[in-house]
Amino acid sequence: MIRDITIGQYYASDSVIHKLDPRVKVVCTFAYIISLFCFNQLSGYIIAAVFFWCIIKLSKVPFKFVIRGIKPILFMLVFTAMLNLFWTSGGNVLVKFGIITITEEGIERTVFMALRLVFLIIGSSIMTLATTPNQLTDAIEKLLKPLNRVKVPVHEVAMMMSIALRFIPILVEETDKIMKAQLARGADFESGNIFRRIKSMAPIIIPLFVSAARRASDLALAMDARCYNGGSGRTKMKPLEYKGRDIAAYLVMAGYIAVIIIAGKYLPF
Amino acid sequence: MSIKLQNVNFIYGQGTGKEKQALKNINIEINDGEFLGLAGHTGSGKSTLVQLLNGLERATSGEIFYNGQNIYDKSYNMRKLRSKTGLVFQYPEHQLFETTVINDVQFGPKNLGLPQLEVELRSFNALKMAGIDDSLLDVSPFALSGGQKRRVAIAGVLAMQPEVLVLDEPAAGLDPAGRDEILGLLKKLHKESNTTIILVSHSMEDLAGYVDRMLVMNKGEIVLDGKPGQVFQFEKELEKIGLGVPQPAKVIHQLKEAGADIKGEPVTAEESIEAIYKWLSKEAL
Repeated sequence: MIRDITIGQYYASDSVIHKLDPRVKVVCTFAYIISLFCFNQLSGYIIAAVFFWCIIKLSKVPFKFVIRGIKPILFMLVFTAMLNLFWTSGGNVLVKFGIITITEEGIERTVFMALRLVFLIIGSSIMTLATTPNQLTDAIEKLLKPLNRVKVPVHEVAMMMSIALRFIPILVEETDKIMKAQLARGADFESGNIFRRIKSMAPIIIPLFVSAARRASDLALAMDARCYNGGSGRTKMKPLEYKGRDIAAYLVMAGYIAVIIIAGKYLPF
Repeated sequence: MSIKLQNVNFIYGQGTGKEKQALKNINIEINDGEFLGLAGHTGSGKSTLVQLLNGLERATSGEIFYNGQNIYDKSYNMRKLRSKTGLVFQYPEHQLFETTVINDVQFGPKNLGLPQLEVELRSFNALKMAGIDDSLLDVSPFALSGGQKRRVAIAGVLAMQPEVLVLDEPAAGLDPAGRDEILGLLKKLHKESNTTIILVSHSMEDLAGYVDRMLVMNKGEIVLDGKPGQVFQFEKELEKIGLGVPQPAKVIHQLKEAGADIKGEPVTAEESIEAIYKWLSKEAL
C-alpha cells in the first residue's frame, strides 16, 4: 500500500556524473545556480541550457526523470510568472485592460524569470538524481568542516541528517504494518468527512510515534555501547578523496563560468 | 464453513522490475474448527499467505473461497471478511494506542458497530480469557510488561469473536513461560469455542504439541501437509529447508533407526517418554 513511497529520487546508474566525488557535485551545483544570475541576455540562457543538456546526457538519467523535478514547483512558477507579467512597468504597452497592463518588458522578464527558475530546479535535481542521500551528507559534512573552528557541530548535524534519511524507509514499512494491523481490527480510514478521517488516523499515528521513540532510544543505546562520542578523532571507512576526474570536472565548471561571464560582457544579445 | 485456496499466486512489486514471487500455486482447504500449524523458514511466504486470508493483500491470480463464497467477487464485503477472520500480526503489542487497556481492546468490537453493552461484555471476556487481571483494565497499555502487552493485543482481536483466528508468530520474543501461556491460551480457546485457529511459526517445537494439522512451506510452496507426527517423518527434508524436527521426535527417530520397536509417532516430550517407557518395559519382559 504505502510502501510505494520513495523519498529522495536517486536514479541508479554508473555514469561519470554518478562516479564523481559528491563534493564536486555539491560545489558545481552551487556554482551553476549562481551562474544563472550572472547574465541577463539570450545568449547566456542558450549557453546554460546547452551546458546542462550535456550534463543530463552524461549522467544517463532519462530526461523524463529530470523534468519530473519541476512538477512540485509548477504552481510557484506560474504564480511568479503572473506577478512578473502584470506588475512590470516601463517599455512598450501591449495590452491595457483595467488595472492589468502587459508591457513588452514584462513579457521578456516573465519568460526569462521562468526559464531561470526551471534551470535552477533542473540543475539541482540532476545533483539529487545522481547522488545518494548518504553521499550528499558526507559531502556536506566535509565541505562544512571549517565551520568546526567556530564551534558549529558539523559532524553531529551530518550524523543527524543521515540517521533521519536512514529511518525513512524503516518508518514507511512500520506504517504499512500498523495500518494493516488496524485494518484487521476493523479500522476504517477511507469513509467519513475530513474530521472523522483525521480522528481515524490516531490508531496509526500513536503506535508510529511510540515505535519511532523506541527505535531512537535503541539506536542511541547501540551507538553508546560502541563508544560513539561525536566527530572528534573519527575516521571514515570510505574517505572522500579527489581523483583525476574530479579535478577535470572542476576545470570544466570553471570554463563554463568563464564563458558565461565573457558572453555576458561582450555578446550584444 | 471452510476456507479454500485455489491456485493462488502472489507476486510482490509487480511492474517495478523487482518482482518476487512470494506464493506459488497454493491449493489448500482449511476446515472449520481446525487447529492448523503453518511452518516455514523466514521468507517462505507464511506471512503473505495469512494476509491473503483476510483480504489485506490481494492474490495476483487464483481464487479464495470463504464458506463457499469467492472473496474476490465484486459484491463480496471485504470488511465483513476482516471481522470474521481475526489476524494477530507479529509483535501485535506494537499496535496498541489507546489510553487504557480496556479502551484498546474495545477498538475492534466498536468498529464492528456493536451496541456499547455488547462491546464491553466482549472486551471483558476477551481480557479474562487472555489472563489479564481486572486491576489492569484502567492502566495505560504502555505501562505493561512485554508479555502482558502481547496478551492485551491478542485480546483486542479475540474481542471481535472471529470465526477464524490467525496468529503470526504469537510467541516470538517471549520467554518460555510467556510462550507456554500464549499457546496454552490458544489451546483453551480452541477447545471452548471451536474457533478455527491458524498458528504461524518457524518453530516446530511450538507447533508440535498444539496443532492437529501442519502445513510446511518452502519458497512460496506448500511442501508438506499432515498431522505433526506424519510431517516429522520427513526429518531429512525438513532439515534441508532449515526447519528440522523437535528434539523428542528426533530421539524417537534415532531409536527406531537403531532397531527399537516403538509404536506410533509421538511428537511431544510427554508422548515420547511414554512410548519409550512402553518399549523398554516390553524389552524387559
